[in-house]
Order: sequence, then structure tokens, then C-alpha cells
Amino acid sequence: MNFMGNNKDLLLVYPSMKPVSLTEAVNVMLPPQFYTLKKEALPLRYAYQAKKIAPSLFDGLLEAGSHYEYMVWKEDEAWVFLAYDIEKITAFLESKGFALEHVSKLFFAQQSVDLFDKPLLLGEDEALVSLDRMVVVVPRGAITEENGPSLVFNNSFTPKKGIVLSGAYGSVLSLKQASMLAAIFILFALMFFVEGSRYSDDSEAGETKIQEMLSAYPALQSKYTRDSIVAKYKAIDTAERKKREIVKMVSGMIFKGVTLSSLEVDDKSYKVHFTCKDAQVAKRLNLLATKNKLKTSAISGSHDLKIEGTL
Amino acid sequence: MTWKRYQNELIALIAFVFMLAAYGYKTAQVSAQAESIAAAKHSVEEIQEVISLKKIWADKKTSKKVEKLQALVPDSKVKWSNKNKKVTASYKNLTARELNTLVTKILNVPVEIQKLKIQKVASSYDVEFKCKW
Repeated sequence: MNFMGNNKDLLLVYPSMKPVSLTEAVNVMLPPQFYTLKKEALPLRYAYQAKKIAPSLFDGLLEAGSHYEYMVWKEDEAWVFLAYDIEKITAFLESKGFALEHVSKLFFAQQSVDLFDKPLLLGEDEALVSLDRMVVVVPRGAITEENGPSLVFNNSFTPKKGIVLSGAYGSVLSLKQASMLAAIFILFALMFFVEGSRYSDDSEAGETKIQEMLSAYPALQSKYTRDSIVAKYKAIDTAERKKREIVKMVSGMIFKGVTLSSLEVDDKSYKVHFTCKDAQVAKRLNLLATKNKLKTSAISGSHDLKIEGTL
Repeated sequence: MTWKRYQNELIALIAFVFMLAAYGYKTAQVSAQAESIAAAKHSVEEIQEVISLKKIWADKKTSKKVEKLQALVPDSKVKWSNKNKKVTASYKNLTARELNTLVTKILNVPVEIQKLKIQKVASSYDVEFKCKW
């Protein structure tokens, strides 16, 4: 597998060429008509430094109003600066029938200067030759027979470094912007993953607490055992609490003038008989019973009150 | 080859989808944790309830506590029968103070009250008490 995209056919384009019809992706090599070249021996160490100063080097040399991009590389002791207008190039390619999605990479003839040891004919009237290690276009008439036969242009002219055209047209985002966005999204994704895994660890803490409790009470390990204990004692607990509540309520209803005549509590019901000194006491007791949500009934012929109910 | 035209957008989109997936993972973990905490809390409460119920109603000291109900009043006032964790007691001629003490103690002993009957006879009280544990 070739990740560099150099396995595609390399086509040399030039202004006088005939339109083409492509069915597969190709690499394209551009002659000097599509770029401006400058060589400078500068005390620079890295290509990014050279690329930074490239626009100032071409001051006054490039057409105003065009948007230029730059490519730099080092040749021996000198830096090669190459300015190109991608819009102009794509417009030309489209005018020659190139579907831009079929153009994989763009290369410049200057990148393969070492291979131009002979002239390379460009159509009927022009040729590419290397003069002082610079690829230039010359009229075909300027080529003498001494120069020998024309070079055969093939994929061996494909340089290592090219321009990925797909990132330069059609896209709303540039490769740099896309990379930056992707980096931000991936950063967030990693944060979410880390946070998520923390939550997953925390959720195991509750389980640990249960295990600690169960190890302290091994008899309760089984859910079945726990359920049967709850079923057995819950009913007892509820009923017994209710009985005790009734007795406590009754004892709270005894005040001056009220006497407890009888009280009976069993598994299902309760009965209470109060003797009251007079009607006023009976009324107060009745109010207290109502407050405690107990059902009272008066005993005829006396001020006594009876309270009955089921548990 | 149309995808190549939008290669940059595709890179950003894939990263965005990756971020969404990570966000989904985080959200799922958050809700899983909430569920797990709720389930653990429920289990802990359930176990604690079982423990406390057992502590109250299956207390091995209950027999001793019940025996104390016999000694609360003079022997002459009590008829006491204790068989197989079942007590039938009959108290006669209790004063109001004795009645209060007895009832308070009965209410605080973890037994199943099968019958508690208090009857005022003249100025004293008779009590019938049946329980099991």
C-alpha cells in the first residue's frame, strides 16, 4: 500500500495541451508557467522559517490581487522558494477537462530538476529544459539536435512532496482548520472517556459497602433468606407497633376526671372503656379521641365513653 | 471520489462523531452510576431493615426480659405460666402505680401481645396478659 499517493499516474500539463477525460485519480506536474521561482542562500535552518519569509521575498514579483501559496525546500546551500496561485491552477485544470476530485496531488517541474538532463517537449512549440538547475520553458526552435532526443516523461518524475489538491478546493475547512477541530473534538472525547470511566469506578463503591455489610452478617448473604426474614418479622413488627401505639394513646387520654374502666387488646381488635366524671370531661375526652383518630361511642345513662377498633 | 472533495470536513466529522460517542459513554456511565447508587442504597436499607428486625424480634434475651414481668409485683398478685416461649399471666389487685409500671414494661418487651386485658375492680386493677416470642 502506498500512502504517499505516488502510485498514481503522473501527467505533465501545459497551456497548449488538449483537453483530457479522466476516469481515475492522477498526479499532476505543473511547468513554470504556473509558478514563480526564487533561489536564495539564506541562513535559515528550518523550512517553516523559510516559509514564513517567503511572501516578502516575492514582493513586487507576483500579480497583485491573486492569492498565492508557497512551497519551500532546500537545494544544496540555497533555499528554493516557489509561489503558486492554486485558484489559477485549478481553473486551468478544469478548463482542460480535469475533474478536480481526480487530481490527487500537484507537483512542480522544478521539484524534479535533477531529471531534466535533456529537453522535454511540451506540445508543438515549447520544451522544458534545465538551465542553471532551474526548469524553464523555451521555444522548441531553441533546441538543437546536440541536445539529443526528448526525455520520456513518466512516473519516475514524481517528487516526494506534493500539494494535496483535495484540501484546497470545495472544502469549507482548510486542512489546518480541520486538524485543529479534530484535535479539539478528540481532546473532549478523551475527557469524556476519562470522566465516564471515573463514574464507572464510583458506581462500584456502593457494591463494596453491601459486600462489607454482608460479610458482617453472613447469614443474610442470600436474598431469599433476607426476604423470608422480612416477610416473617415485618408483619409482627407492624401489628405489635400498632398495639403498643393504641395502649400509649389510651394512657395519654387519662386526665383528671377520667378513669380507665377496662382495656382489652388482642391480635385483631381493641376495646377501651373510660368513665368520665361529667359531661364536660366526656366532651374533652371525645375531642382527644377524635384528635387521635379513634372512634368513640357514648354509653347511655352515663358520661362513659367506649372506644373500639380493629388493628 | 466525491468524498475526497470533502476530506477535511470528513476528518472533523469523524472526530466530532468520536466525541459524541465519548459523550454518550460518559452519559451512560453517569446514569448507570445513579442507578447503581439507588440500587445499592435500596439494598443497604433492605439489609439494615432485616438486621434491625432480627435484632428486635429474634432477640435471645427476650426470655429474660419477659421473666422480669413476673417480678414487678409481689408474688401474691401474680399467676405466671411460661411454656415454650409462651406466657400467660394474671395480675390481681394492682395499684395504679403497679399497673403503670407493668404496662410500660410490657410495651417495651419485644413480644407478640396476644391478649392484654385491664379491668378496674373497685380501686384496683386486674390484668390478664398473654404473649409469645
